[in-house]
Amino acid sequence: MDILRIEGIKKSFKNDISFERKEILHGVSFFARKGEILGFLGPNGAGKTTTIKIILGLMRPDEGTVSIFGRSSRERSLKARIGYLPENPYFYPHLNLREFLTFCGNLSGMRGKVLDRKVAATISLVDLEASHKQRLKSFSKGMLQRAGLAQAILHDPDLLILDEPFSGLDPLGRKIIRDILLGLRRRGKTIFFSSHILPDMEALCNRACLIRSGKVVKNIGLDEIFRLGEGKVEVVARGFEKEIFEMMRDLIDKVEMNGEEFFLSVSKQEYVRAVVQHIYNSGGEILRVVNQHPSLEDIFMNEISGTGGEGEDSRRVEEKEFSGSGRGKS
Amino acid sequence: MRKIFSIALNTFREALREKLLFIVLIFTGILLLSTYVLSPLSVGTARNKVITDVGLACISLLGVLTAIMVGSTLVYKEVDKKAILMVLSRPVSRHGYLIGKYAGITAALFLMMILMTGILAVMIELGQGHITPAVLLAIYLSGLETMVLCAIVIFFSTFTTPVLTSFFSLCLFIAGSLSGDLRAFASRFGGALMKYVMDVLYYLLPNLKVFNLRHEAVHQLRFSSADLGTATLYALVYTGVILYFAYMVFRKREFS
Ligand SMILES: Nc1ncnc2c1ncn2[C@@H]1O[C@H](COP(=O)(O)OP(=O)(O)OP(=O)(O)O)[C@@H](O)[C@H]1O
Ligand SMILES: [Mg+2]
Repeated sequence: MDILRIEGIKKSFKNDISFERKEILHGVSFFARKGEILGFLGPNGAGKTTTIKIILGLMRPDEGTVSIFGRSSRERSLKARIGYLPENPYFYPHLNLREFLTFCGNLSGMRGKVLDRKVAATISLVDLEASHKQRLKSFSKGMLQRAGLAQAILHDPDLLILDEPFSGLDPLGRKIIRDILLGLRRRGKTIFFSSHILPDMEALCNRACLIRSGKVVKNIGLDEIFRLGEGKVEVVARGFEKEIFEMMRDLIDKVEMNGEEFFLSVSKQEYVRAVVQHIYNSGGEILRVVNQHPSLEDIFMNEISGTGGEGEDSRRVEEKEFSGSGRGKS
Repeated sequence: MRKIFSIALNTFREALREKLLFIVLIFTGILLLSTYVLSPLSVGTARNKVITDVGLACISLLGVLTAIMVGSTLVYKEVDKKAILMVLSRPVSRHGYLIGKYAGITAALFLMMILMTGILAVMIELGQGHITPAVLLAIYLSGLETMVLCAIVIFFSTFTTPVLTSFFSLCLFIAGSLSGDLRAFASRFGGALMKYVMDVLYYLLPNLKVFNLRHEAVHQLRFSSADLGTATLYALVYTGVILYFAYMVFRKREFS
Protein backbone atom coordinates (compact mmCIF):
# COMPACT_ATOMS: atom_id res chain seq x y z
CA MET A 1 0.00 0.00 0.00
CA ASP A 2 1.21 3.49 -0.82
CA ILE A 3 1.25 5.82 2.14
CA LEU A 4 0.65 8.81 -0.08
CA ARG A 5 -0.82 8.74 -3.57
CA ILE A 6 -1.59 11.80 -5.64
CA GLU A 7 -3.40 11.35 -8.92
CA GLY A 8 -4.03 13.88 -11.66
CA ILE A 9 -4.11 16.99 -9.48
CA LYS A 10 -5.06 20.13 -11.38
CA LYS A 11 -5.28 23.52 -9.78
CA SER A 12 -5.90 26.97 -11.16
CA PHE A 13 -5.93 30.38 -9.51
CA LYS A 14 -8.00 33.41 -10.36
CA ASN A 15 -6.01 36.39 -11.42
CA ASP A 16 -6.90 39.29 -9.15
CA ILE A 17 -6.96 41.80 -11.97
CA SER A 18 -8.24 40.11 -15.10
CA PHE A 19 -10.28 37.43 -13.30
CA GLU A 20 -8.97 34.84 -15.70
CA ARG A 21 -8.13 31.47 -14.26
CA LYS A 22 -4.59 30.35 -14.74
CA GLU A 23 -3.74 26.71 -14.35
CA ILE A 24 -0.76 26.19 -12.08
CA LEU A 25 -0.80 22.41 -11.70
CA HIS A 26 -1.55 20.38 -14.81
CA GLY A 27 -2.25 16.90 -13.54
CA VAL A 28 0.40 16.12 -10.93
CA SER A 29 0.69 12.45 -9.96
CA PHE A 30 3.14 10.63 -7.73
CA PHE A 31 3.23 8.34 -4.75
CA ALA A 32 5.33 7.54 -1.70
CA ARG A 33 5.78 4.07 -0.29
CA LYS A 34 6.02 3.18 3.36
CA GLY A 35 9.38 3.88 4.89
CA GLU A 36 10.86 5.89 2.09
CA ILE A 37 12.03 9.47 1.83
CA LEU A 38 10.65 11.10 -1.28
CA GLY A 39 12.16 14.39 -2.38
CA PHE A 40 10.08 16.95 -4.21
CA LEU A 41 12.31 18.96 -6.46
CA GLY A 42 11.59 21.87 -8.73
CA PRO A 43 12.49 25.47 -9.49
CA ASN A 44 10.77 28.43 -7.81
CA GLY A 45 7.13 28.70 -8.74
CA ALA A 46 6.91 25.13 -10.03
CA GLY A 47 3.96 24.41 -7.75
CA LYS A 48 5.54 22.49 -4.88
CA THR A 49 3.92 24.46 -2.08
CA THR A 50 0.58 24.41 -3.86
CA THR A 51 0.75 20.62 -4.22
CA ILE A 52 1.64 20.22 -0.55
CA LYS A 53 -1.25 22.44 0.55
CA ILE A 54 -3.63 20.41 -1.57
CA ILE A 55 -2.38 17.21 0.06
CA LEU A 56 -3.18 18.70 3.46
CA GLY A 57 -6.60 19.97 2.45
CA LEU A 58 -5.59 23.62 2.93
CA MET A 59 -6.45 24.14 -0.74
CA ARG A 60 -8.88 22.26 -2.91
CA PRO A 61 -7.82 20.78 -6.25
CA ASP A 62 -9.92 21.47 -9.35
CA GLU A 63 -9.46 17.85 -10.33
CA GLY A 64 -7.68 14.78 -9.08
CA THR A 65 -7.50 12.78 -5.89
CA VAL A 66 -5.23 12.54 -2.89
CA SER A 67 -5.21 9.41 -0.82
CA ILE A 68 -3.26 8.99 2.39
CA PHE A 69 -2.78 5.64 4.10
CA GLY A 70 -5.05 4.29 1.37
CA ARG A 71 -7.99 6.45 2.45
CA SER A 72 -9.49 9.66 1.12
CA SER A 73 -7.53 12.63 2.42
CA ARG A 74 -10.79 14.27 3.41
CA GLU A 75 -11.10 12.14 6.54
CA ARG A 76 -10.10 14.43 9.34
CA SER A 77 -8.90 11.69 11.66
CA LEU A 78 -6.06 10.90 9.25
CA LYS A 79 -4.46 14.19 10.17
CA ALA A 80 -3.54 12.86 13.57
CA ARG A 81 -1.01 10.68 11.74
CA ILE A 82 0.47 13.44 9.56
CA GLY A 83 3.12 15.97 10.52
CA TYR A 84 3.40 19.16 8.48
CA LEU A 85 6.05 21.85 8.36
CA PRO A 86 4.88 24.87 6.35
CA GLU A 87 7.17 26.95 4.18
CA ASN A 88 8.55 29.88 6.24
CA PRO A 89 6.73 28.81 9.38
CA TYR A 90 5.19 31.47 11.57
CA PHE A 91 3.91 30.67 15.00
CA TYR A 92 2.28 32.48 17.86
CA PRO A 93 4.89 35.01 18.95
CA HIS A 94 3.48 35.38 22.45
CA LEU A 95 4.15 31.75 23.36
CA ASN A 96 7.43 30.20 24.36
CA LEU A 97 8.55 27.00 22.72
CA ARG A 98 7.26 24.71 25.46
CA GLU A 99 3.83 26.37 25.53
CA PHE A 100 3.67 26.30 21.78
CA LEU A 101 4.45 22.61 21.52
CA THR A 102 1.98 21.84 24.29
CA PHE A 103 -0.68 23.70 22.34
CA CYS A 104 0.20 21.74 19.20
CA GLY A 105 0.10 18.47 21.12
CA ASN A 106 -3.35 19.33 22.48
CA LEU A 107 -4.61 19.98 18.98
CA SER A 108 -3.31 16.57 17.96
CA GLY A 109 -5.18 14.97 20.82
CA MET A 110 -2.28 14.51 23.25
CA ARG A 111 -2.37 15.61 26.85
CA GLY A 112 -1.10 15.24 30.39
CA LYS A 113 2.18 13.68 31.46
CA VAL A 114 2.64 11.86 28.15
CA LEU A 115 2.53 15.17 26.33
CA ASP A 116 4.89 16.88 28.77
CA ARG A 117 7.47 14.15 28.34
CA LYS A 118 7.08 14.18 24.57
CA VAL A 119 7.48 17.96 24.45
CA ALA A 120 10.68 17.82 26.48
CA ALA A 121 12.07 14.98 24.36
CA THR A 122 11.27 16.74 21.09
CA ILE A 123 12.84 19.99 22.26
CA SER A 124 16.07 18.19 23.03
CA LEU A 125 15.90 16.29 19.74
CA VAL A 126 15.93 19.52 17.72
CA ASP A 127 18.58 20.92 20.05
CA LEU A 128 16.62 23.88 21.38
CA GLU A 129 16.85 23.02 25.07
CA ALA A 130 18.66 26.26 25.79
CA SER A 131 15.78 28.34 24.43
CA HIS A 132 12.69 26.47 25.53
CA LYS A 133 11.57 29.33 27.76
CA GLN A 134 12.22 32.00 25.19
CA ARG A 135 9.29 33.55 23.35
CA LEU A 136 9.00 32.48 19.73
CA LYS A 137 8.96 36.16 18.84
CA SER A 138 12.68 36.33 19.58
CA PHE A 139 13.62 33.18 17.65
CA SER A 140 16.00 33.44 14.71
CA LYS A 141 15.02 32.01 11.37
CA GLY A 142 16.95 28.81 11.87
CA MET A 143 15.49 28.37 15.36
CA LEU A 144 11.98 28.85 14.00
CA GLN A 145 12.67 26.25 11.36
CA ARG A 146 13.74 23.80 14.04
CA ALA A 147 10.73 24.68 16.19
CA GLY A 148 8.67 24.00 13.08
CA LEU A 149 10.19 20.56 12.70
CA ALA A 150 9.57 19.94 16.40
CA GLN A 151 5.84 20.61 16.03
CA ALA A 152 5.74 18.42 12.93
CA ILE A 153 7.24 15.36 14.62
CA LEU A 154 5.79 15.92 18.10
CA HIS A 155 2.85 13.52 17.75
CA ASP A 156 4.98 10.80 16.18
CA PRO A 157 3.26 10.89 12.78
CA ASP A 158 3.57 8.09 10.23
CA LEU A 159 3.78 10.55 7.35
CA LEU A 160 5.83 13.72 7.44
CA ILE A 161 5.24 16.44 4.86
CA LEU A 162 7.90 19.12 4.99
CA ASP A 163 8.00 22.23 2.81
CA GLU A 164 11.63 23.27 2.53
CA PRO A 165 12.81 21.99 5.91
CA PHE A 166 16.39 23.09 5.28
CA SER A 167 15.82 26.72 4.38
CA GLY A 168 17.54 29.16 6.67
CA LEU A 169 19.61 26.55 8.49
CA ASP A 170 23.35 26.57 9.08
CA PRO A 171 25.35 23.40 8.32
CA LEU A 172 24.98 22.18 11.89
CA GLY A 173 21.24 22.73 11.88
CA ARG A 174 20.99 20.93 8.57
CA LYS A 175 22.89 17.99 9.93
CA ILE A 176 20.62 17.82 12.96
CA ILE A 177 17.55 17.76 10.77
CA ARG A 178 19.10 15.25 8.37
CA ASP A 179 19.88 12.92 11.24
CA ILE A 180 16.39 13.25 12.64
CA LEU A 181 14.84 12.42 9.28
CA LEU A 182 17.12 9.43 8.78
CA GLY A 183 16.24 8.22 12.26
CA LEU A 184 12.55 8.50 11.45
CA ARG A 185 13.02 6.54 8.25
CA ARG A 186 14.71 3.78 10.22
CA ARG A 187 11.57 3.60 12.31
CA GLY A 188 9.48 3.06 9.20
CA LYS A 189 8.09 6.57 8.83
CA THR A 190 7.43 7.98 5.40
CA ILE A 191 8.81 11.41 4.59
CA PHE A 192 7.91 13.71 1.73
CA PHE A 193 9.82 16.95 1.50
CA SER A 194 10.51 19.75 -0.94
CA SER A 195 13.88 21.41 -1.16
CA HIS A 196 16.24 23.30 -3.39
CA ILE A 197 19.30 22.06 -1.61
CA LEU A 198 20.40 19.21 -3.85
CA PRO A 199 23.17 17.74 -1.72
CA ASP A 200 20.69 17.33 1.13
CA MET A 201 18.29 15.74 -1.27
CA GLU A 202 20.97 13.35 -2.45
CA ALA A 203 22.04 12.45 1.05
CA LEU A 204 18.52 11.67 2.22
CA CYS A 205 16.17 10.54 -0.49
CA ASN A 206 15.31 7.15 -1.81
CA ARG A 207 13.57 8.78 -4.71
CA ALA A 208 13.14 12.24 -6.11
CA CYS A 209 10.17 13.62 -7.97
CA LEU A 210 11.02 16.48 -10.31
CA ILE A 211 8.31 19.03 -11.03
CA ARG A 212 8.51 21.84 -13.54
CA SER A 213 5.74 24.36 -14.34
CA GLY A 214 3.10 22.24 -12.66
CA LYS A 215 4.03 18.94 -14.28
CA VAL A 216 6.01 16.02 -12.95
CA VAL A 217 8.84 15.67 -15.45
CA LYS A 218 10.83 12.95 -13.82
CA ASN A 219 10.53 10.39 -11.10
CA ILE A 220 13.89 8.97 -10.28
CA GLY A 221 15.25 6.54 -7.76
CA LEU A 222 18.51 7.70 -6.24
CA ASP A 223 20.03 4.27 -6.75
CA GLU A 224 19.30 4.69 -10.44
CA ILE A 225 21.50 7.73 -10.45
CA PHE A 226 24.44 5.66 -9.36
CA ARG A 227 23.68 3.19 -12.10
CA LEU A 228 23.37 5.90 -14.71
CA GLY A 229 27.11 6.24 -15.04
CA GLU A 230 27.91 2.60 -14.39
CA GLY A 231 30.98 1.35 -16.21
CA LYS A 232 32.47 4.81 -16.46
CA VAL A 233 35.48 5.24 -14.25
CA GLU A 234 37.90 8.11 -14.15
CA VAL A 235 41.52 7.46 -13.31
CA VAL A 236 43.60 10.42 -12.22
CA ALA A 237 47.34 9.90 -12.55
CA ARG A 238 50.65 11.61 -13.21
CA GLY A 239 54.30 11.05 -13.99
CA PHE A 240 53.98 8.27 -16.58
CA GLU A 241 55.48 7.93 -20.05
CA LYS A 242 53.27 9.47 -22.69
CA GLU A 243 53.70 6.58 -25.12
CA ILE A 244 51.41 4.34 -23.09
CA PHE A 245 48.48 6.29 -24.51
CA GLU A 246 49.07 4.40 -27.73
CA MET A 247 48.71 1.07 -25.89
CA MET A 248 45.59 2.18 -24.05
CA ARG A 249 43.79 3.55 -27.10
CA ASP A 250 40.98 1.01 -26.84
CA LEU A 251 40.69 1.28 -23.11
CA ILE A 252 40.04 4.97 -22.63
CA ASP A 253 37.56 7.37 -24.18
CA LYS A 254 38.98 10.70 -23.30
CA VAL A 255 42.01 12.31 -21.74
CA GLU A 256 42.08 15.69 -20.08
CA MET A 257 45.07 17.40 -18.60
CA ASN A 258 45.36 19.84 -15.75
CA GLY A 259 48.96 20.80 -14.95
CA GLU A 260 50.77 17.58 -14.07
CA GLU A 261 47.60 15.58 -13.68
CA PHE A 262 45.91 13.48 -16.34
CA PHE A 263 42.23 12.59 -16.16
CA LEU A 264 41.61 9.37 -18.03
CA SER A 265 38.04 8.31 -18.74
CA VAL A 266 38.05 4.53 -18.80
CA SER A 267 35.29 3.24 -21.03
CA LYS A 268 34.51 0.04 -19.13
CA GLN A 269 34.87 -1.10 -15.53
CA GLU A 270 36.82 -4.19 -16.67
CA TYR A 271 39.55 -2.04 -18.22
CA VAL A 272 40.45 -0.19 -15.02
CA ARG A 273 42.87 -2.85 -13.94
CA ALA A 274 44.71 -2.76 -17.28
CA VAL A 275 44.92 1.02 -17.31
CA VAL A 276 46.29 1.12 -13.80
CA GLN A 277 48.82 -1.55 -14.71
CA HIS A 278 50.06 0.42 -17.71
CA ILE A 279 50.51 3.54 -15.63
CA TYR A 280 52.46 1.75 -12.89
CA ASN A 281 54.61 -0.06 -15.44
CA SER A 282 55.74 3.22 -16.96
CA GLY A 283 56.61 4.66 -13.55
CA GLY A 284 53.45 6.67 -13.06
CA GLU A 285 51.56 7.46 -9.88
CA ILE A 286 47.82 6.89 -9.41
CA LEU A 287 46.20 9.78 -7.57
CA ARG A 288 42.63 8.49 -7.47
CA VAL A 289 40.11 6.27 -9.19
CA VAL A 290 36.61 7.71 -9.30
CA ASN A 291 33.33 6.06 -10.18
CA GLN A 292 31.57 8.57 -12.38
CA HIS A 293 27.84 9.17 -12.16
CA PRO A 294 25.80 12.26 -12.78
CA SER A 295 24.85 14.17 -9.64
CA LEU A 296 21.26 15.02 -8.86
CA GLU A 297 22.26 18.53 -9.77
CA ASP A 298 23.25 17.46 -13.30
CA ILE A 299 19.90 15.76 -13.74
CA PHE A 300 18.03 18.68 -12.24
CA MET A 301 19.78 21.19 -14.47
CA ASN A 302 19.24 19.00 -17.48
CA GLU A 303 15.53 18.68 -16.83
CA ILE A 304 14.93 22.22 -15.74
CA SER A 305 16.86 24.06 -18.42
CA GLY A 306 15.68 21.78 -21.21
CA THR A 307 12.69 23.36 -22.93
CA GLY A 308 10.35 21.58 -25.33
CA GLY A 309 12.19 19.53 -27.96
CA GLU A 310 15.54 19.83 -26.29
CA GLY A 311 14.14 18.27 -23.13
CA GLU A 312 12.85 15.36 -25.15
CA ASP A 313 16.28 14.86 -26.68
CA SER A 314 18.20 14.80 -23.47
CA ARG A 315 15.76 12.28 -22.08
CA ARG A 316 16.31 9.99 -25.02
CA VAL A 317 20.06 10.15 -24.53
CA GLU A 318 19.61 9.11 -20.93
CA GLU A 319 17.45 6.20 -21.94
CA LYS A 320 20.22 5.05 -24.24
CA GLU A 321 22.67 5.21 -21.40
CA PHE A 322 20.29 3.12 -19.31
CA SER A 323 20.07 0.38 -21.89
CA GLY A 324 23.81 0.55 -22.50
CA SER A 325 24.64 -0.03 -18.87
CA GLY A 326 22.09 -2.82 -18.79
CA ARG A 327 23.94 -4.66 -21.48
CA GLY A 328 27.25 -3.99 -19.85
CA LYS A 329 26.07 -5.78 -16.76
CA SER A 330 24.94 -9.00 -18.38
CA MET B 1 -14.10 19.52 22.71
CA ARG B 2 -10.70 19.69 24.37
CA LYS B 3 -9.22 20.96 21.14
CA ILE B 4 -11.77 23.77 21.00
CA PHE B 5 -10.91 24.57 24.57
CA SER B 6 -7.19 24.72 23.71
CA ILE B 7 -7.82 27.09 20.85
CA ALA B 8 -10.09 29.21 23.03
CA LEU B 9 -7.50 29.35 25.80
CA ASN B 10 -4.74 30.31 23.40
CA THR B 11 -6.94 33.00 21.84
CA PHE B 12 -7.91 34.27 25.26
CA ARG B 13 -4.26 34.72 26.20
CA GLU B 14 -3.52 36.36 22.90
CA ALA B 15 -6.47 38.74 23.27
CA LEU B 16 -5.39 39.71 26.77
CA ARG B 17 -2.10 40.79 25.29
CA GLU B 18 -3.97 43.23 23.07
CA LYS B 19 -3.92 45.78 25.88
CA LEU B 20 -7.34 44.97 27.24
CA LEU B 21 -6.15 46.03 30.67
CA PHE B 22 -5.24 49.36 29.18
CA ILE B 23 -8.89 49.79 28.23
CA VAL B 24 -9.93 49.03 31.80
CA LEU B 25 -7.55 51.79 32.84
CA ILE B 26 -9.14 54.22 30.41
CA PHE B 27 -12.50 53.27 31.86
CA THR B 28 -11.31 54.08 35.35
CA GLY B 29 -9.98 57.41 34.12
CA ILE B 30 -13.28 58.33 32.55
CA LEU B 31 -15.15 57.43 35.73
CA LEU B 32 -12.81 59.48 37.90
CA LEU B 33 -13.08 62.36 35.51
CA SER B 34 -16.86 62.28 35.54
CA THR B 35 -16.91 62.14 39.33
CA TYR B 36 -14.51 64.94 40.13
CA VAL B 37 -14.74 67.15 37.08
CA LEU B 38 -18.21 66.83 35.66
CA SER B 39 -20.13 66.60 38.90
CA PRO B 40 -18.17 68.44 41.56
CA LEU B 41 -21.31 70.09 42.79
CA SER B 42 -23.61 67.15 43.06
CA VAL B 43 -23.42 65.04 46.18
CA GLY B 44 -24.63 61.69 47.46
CA THR B 45 -27.24 59.93 45.34
CA ALA B 46 -27.06 62.51 42.56
CA ARG B 47 -23.33 61.92 42.18
CA ASN B 48 -23.80 58.17 42.20
CA LYS B 49 -26.41 58.50 39.49
CA VAL B 50 -23.90 60.28 37.29
CA ILE B 51 -21.24 57.64 37.94
CA THR B 52 -23.66 54.82 37.24
CA ASP B 53 -24.91 56.52 34.10
CA VAL B 54 -21.42 57.15 32.73
CA GLY B 55 -20.16 53.77 33.92
CA LEU B 56 -22.90 51.79 32.23
CA ALA B 57 -22.55 53.71 28.98
CA CYS B 58 -18.80 53.20 29.03
CA ILE B 59 -18.98 49.48 29.76
CA SER B 60 -21.36 49.01 26.86
CA LEU B 61 -19.45 51.17 24.41
CA LEU B 62 -15.96 49.97 25.37
CA GLY B 63 -17.20 46.38 25.19
CA VAL B 64 -18.44 46.89 21.67
CA LEU B 65 -15.42 48.86 20.49
CA THR B 66 -12.96 46.37 21.95
CA ALA B 67 -14.87 43.50 20.38
CA ILE B 68 -14.45 45.19 17.02
CA MET B 69 -10.84 46.11 17.61
CA VAL B 70 -9.66 42.73 18.88
CA GLY B 71 -11.99 40.52 16.86
CA SER B 72 -11.21 42.13 13.55
CA THR B 73 -7.49 41.39 13.81
CA LEU B 74 -7.24 38.04 15.55
CA VAL B 75 -8.53 35.68 12.87
CA TYR B 76 -7.19 37.80 10.06
CA LYS B 77 -3.70 37.91 11.51
CA GLU B 78 -3.63 34.19 11.96
CA VAL B 79 -4.62 33.56 8.36
CA ASP B 80 -2.38 36.29 7.01
CA LYS B 81 0.70 35.20 8.93
CA LYS B 82 -0.05 31.53 8.24
CA ALA B 83 -0.13 30.37 11.85
CA ILE B 84 -3.44 28.82 10.88
CA LEU B 85 -1.72 26.31 8.56
CA MET B 86 -0.27 24.61 11.53
CA VAL B 87 -3.64 24.44 13.31
CA LEU B 88 -5.77 23.26 10.41
CA SER B 89 -3.24 20.65 9.32
CA ARG B 90 -4.01 18.91 12.59
CA PRO B 91 -7.19 16.98 13.34
CA VAL B 92 -9.12 20.17 14.07
CA SER B 93 -12.38 20.93 12.28
CA ARG B 94 -12.95 24.31 10.78
CA HIS B 95 -16.07 24.91 12.85
CA GLY B 96 -14.13 23.87 15.94
CA TYR B 97 -11.50 26.42 15.08
CA LEU B 98 -14.05 29.21 14.65
CA ILE B 99 -15.91 28.35 17.83
CA GLY B 100 -12.63 28.25 19.74
CA LYS B 101 -11.57 31.63 18.40
CA TYR B 102 -14.97 33.11 19.17
CA ALA B 103 -15.11 31.68 22.66
CA GLY B 104 -11.59 32.89 23.46
CA ILE B 105 -12.23 36.44 22.35
CA THR B 106 -15.60 36.61 24.06
CA ALA B 107 -14.14 35.28 27.29
CA ALA B 108 -11.45 37.96 27.23
CA LEU B 109 -14.08 40.64 26.63
CA PHE B 110 -16.20 39.30 29.47
CA LEU B 111 -13.21 39.39 31.79
CA MET B 112 -12.63 42.99 30.83
CA MET B 113 -16.27 43.87 31.46
CA ILE B 114 -16.21 42.13 34.84
CA LEU B 115 -13.16 44.17 35.83
CA MET B 116 -14.89 47.35 34.79
CA THR B 117 -17.96 46.34 36.77
CA GLY B 118 -15.76 45.84 39.82
CA ILE B 119 -14.28 49.28 39.43
CA LEU B 120 -17.72 50.80 38.99
CA ALA B 121 -18.90 49.04 42.16
CA VAL B 122 -15.93 50.41 44.12
CA MET B 123 -16.61 53.94 42.90
CA ILE B 124 -20.25 53.71 43.88
CA GLU B 125 -19.28 52.38 47.31
CA LEU B 126 -16.91 55.30 47.72
CA GLY B 127 -19.91 57.56 47.08
CA GLN B 128 -21.67 55.85 49.99
CA GLY B 129 -23.98 53.90 47.72
CA HIS B 130 -24.48 50.32 46.61
CA ILE B 131 -24.50 48.80 43.19
CA THR B 132 -28.08 47.66 42.58
CA PRO B 133 -29.18 44.38 40.98
CA ALA B 134 -30.75 46.43 38.21
CA VAL B 135 -27.34 47.87 37.33
CA LEU B 136 -25.82 44.41 37.29
CA LEU B 137 -28.59 43.22 35.01
CA ALA B 138 -27.96 46.14 32.68
CA ILE B 139 -24.31 45.11 32.51
CA TYR B 140 -25.35 41.54 31.87
CA LEU B 141 -27.33 42.76 28.88
CA SER B 142 -24.33 44.74 27.65
CA GLY B 143 -22.41 41.49 27.85
CA LEU B 144 -25.00 39.85 25.61
CA GLU B 145 -24.70 42.74 23.20
CA THR B 146 -20.93 42.34 23.09
CA MET B 147 -21.38 38.63 22.48
CA VAL B 148 -23.62 39.25 19.45
CA LEU B 149 -21.33 41.89 18.08
CA CYS B 150 -18.31 39.68 18.50
CA ALA B 151 -19.99 37.02 16.35
CA ILE B 152 -20.66 39.64 13.69
CA VAL B 153 -17.02 40.74 13.79
CA ILE B 154 -15.80 37.14 13.45
CA PHE B 155 -18.16 36.64 10.53
CA PHE B 156 -16.69 39.56 8.61
CA SER B 157 -13.14 38.71 9.54
CA THR B 158 -13.43 35.30 7.87
CA PHE B 159 -13.38 36.96 4.47
CA THR B 160 -12.18 40.54 4.68
CA THR B 161 -9.49 42.79 6.12
CA PRO B 162 -9.48 44.28 9.63
CA VAL B 163 -10.30 47.77 8.35
CA LEU B 164 -13.33 46.63 6.41
CA THR B 165 -14.36 44.29 9.19
CA SER B 166 -14.31 47.17 11.68
CA PHE B 167 -16.19 49.39 9.28
CA PHE B 168 -18.94 46.88 8.50
CA SER B 169 -19.30 45.86 12.13
CA LEU B 170 -19.53 49.45 13.27
CA CYS B 171 -22.16 50.16 10.63
CA LEU B 172 -24.14 47.14 11.75
CA PHE B 173 -23.79 48.19 15.36
CA ILE B 174 -25.16 51.66 14.65
CA ALA B 175 -27.90 50.37 12.37
CA GLY B 176 -28.76 47.69 14.90
CA SER B 177 -29.05 50.23 17.70
CA LEU B 178 -31.40 52.34 15.59
CA SER B 179 -33.33 49.71 13.68
CA GLY B 180 -36.31 49.75 16.06
CA ASP B 181 -36.62 53.53 15.85
CA LEU B 182 -36.22 53.57 12.10
CA ARG B 183 -38.93 50.98 11.71
CA ALA B 184 -41.29 52.90 13.93
CA PHE B 185 -40.50 56.03 11.99
CA ALA B 186 -41.13 54.34 8.65
CA SER B 187 -44.39 52.80 9.76
CA ARG B 188 -45.66 56.19 10.80
CA PHE B 189 -44.46 58.36 7.93
CA GLY B 190 -43.18 56.16 5.09
CA GLY B 191 -44.96 54.64 2.10
CA ALA B 192 -45.72 50.95 1.68
CA LEU B 193 -42.39 50.07 0.07
CA MET B 194 -40.45 51.98 2.67
CA LYS B 195 -42.35 50.16 5.35
CA TYR B 196 -41.60 46.82 3.75
CA VAL B 197 -37.88 47.56 3.42
CA MET B 198 -37.67 48.69 7.02
CA ASP B 199 -39.47 45.56 8.16
CA VAL B 200 -36.98 43.35 6.32
CA LEU B 201 -34.05 45.31 7.70
CA TYR B 202 -35.52 45.17 11.16
CA TYR B 203 -35.54 41.41 11.13
CA LEU B 204 -32.15 41.04 9.46
CA LEU B 205 -30.18 43.50 11.52
CA PRO B 206 -29.42 42.69 15.11
CA ASN B 207 -31.98 44.44 17.28
CA LEU B 208 -29.55 45.79 19.81
CA LYS B 209 -32.17 47.83 21.55
CA VAL B 210 -33.28 44.78 23.52
CA PHE B 211 -29.89 44.87 25.24
CA ASN B 212 -30.27 48.42 26.46
CA LEU B 213 -31.83 48.70 29.86
CA ARG B 214 -29.34 51.26 31.09
CA HIS B 215 -31.85 54.07 31.36
CA GLU B 216 -34.20 51.90 33.37
CA ALA B 217 -31.35 50.77 35.63
CA VAL B 218 -30.09 54.25 36.41
CA HIS B 219 -33.48 55.67 37.11
CA GLN B 220 -34.65 52.59 38.94
CA LEU B 221 -37.55 51.97 36.61
CA ARG B 222 -39.12 48.55 36.55
CA PHE B 223 -38.34 46.01 33.90
CA SER B 224 -39.75 42.55 33.51
CA SER B 225 -37.79 39.35 33.80
CA ALA B 226 -39.54 38.21 30.64
CA ASP B 227 -37.59 40.92 28.80
CA LEU B 228 -34.36 39.50 30.19
CA GLY B 229 -35.29 36.02 29.10
CA THR B 230 -36.17 37.20 25.62
CA ALA B 231 -32.95 39.17 25.34
CA THR B 232 -30.87 36.18 26.43
CA LEU B 233 -32.58 33.85 24.00
CA TYR B 234 -32.32 36.41 21.21
CA ALA B 235 -28.58 36.84 21.82
CA LEU B 236 -27.96 33.09 21.78
CA VAL B 237 -29.95 32.47 18.63
CA TYR B 238 -28.53 35.45 16.77
CA THR B 239 -24.97 34.51 17.74
CA GLY B 240 -25.54 30.94 16.67
CA VAL B 241 -26.93 31.93 13.29
CA ILE B 242 -24.14 34.42 12.57
CA LEU B 243 -21.45 31.93 13.60
CA TYR B 244 -23.08 29.39 11.32
CA PHE B 245 -22.80 31.85 8.42
CA ALA B 246 -19.20 32.51 9.38
CA TYR B 247 -18.59 28.76 9.19
CA MET B 248 -20.23 28.55 5.77
CA VAL B 249 -17.75 31.13 4.49
CA PHE B 250 -14.76 29.74 6.36
CA ARG B 251 -15.42 26.16 5.28
CA LYS B 252 -14.77 27.10 1.68
CA ARG B 253 -11.64 29.13 2.31
CA GLU B 254 -8.27 28.22 0.91
CA PHE B 255 -5.11 29.22 2.68
CA SER B 256 -2.26 30.36 0.53
N1 LIG C 1 -3.03 32.12 -3.99
C1 LIG C 1 -2.47 32.20 -5.20
N2 LIG C 1 -3.03 32.98 -6.17
C2 LIG C 1 -2.49 33.05 -7.39
N3 LIG C 1 -1.37 32.41 -7.76
C3 LIG C 1 -0.76 31.63 -6.87
C4 LIG C 1 -1.27 31.48 -5.54
N4 LIG C 1 -0.47 30.64 -4.86
C5 LIG C 1 0.51 30.28 -5.72
N5 LIG C 1 0.33 30.87 -6.92
C6 LIG C 1 1.18 30.68 -8.10
O1 LIG C 1 1.38 29.32 -8.29
C7 LIG C 1 2.69 29.06 -8.74
C8 LIG C 1 3.32 27.99 -7.89
O2 LIG C 1 3.52 28.48 -6.59
P1 LIG C 1 4.14 27.60 -5.43
O3 LIG C 1 4.18 28.44 -4.20
O4 LIG C 1 3.38 26.32 -5.36
O5 LIG C 1 5.59 27.34 -5.98
P2 LIG C 1 6.81 26.58 -5.28
O6 LIG C 1 7.17 25.45 -6.17
O7 LIG C 1 6.49 26.26 -3.88
O8 LIG C 1 7.94 27.68 -5.35
P3 LIG C 1 9.13 28.02 -4.31
O9 LIG C 1 10.23 27.07 -4.60
O10 LIG C 1 9.49 29.40 -4.65
O11 LIG C 1 8.57 27.88 -2.93
C9 LIG C 1 3.44 30.38 -8.73
O12 LIG C 1 3.53 30.85 -10.04
C10 LIG C 1 2.55 31.27 -7.90
O13 LIG C 1 2.61 32.58 -8.40
MG1 LIG D 1 7.24 26.76 -2.09
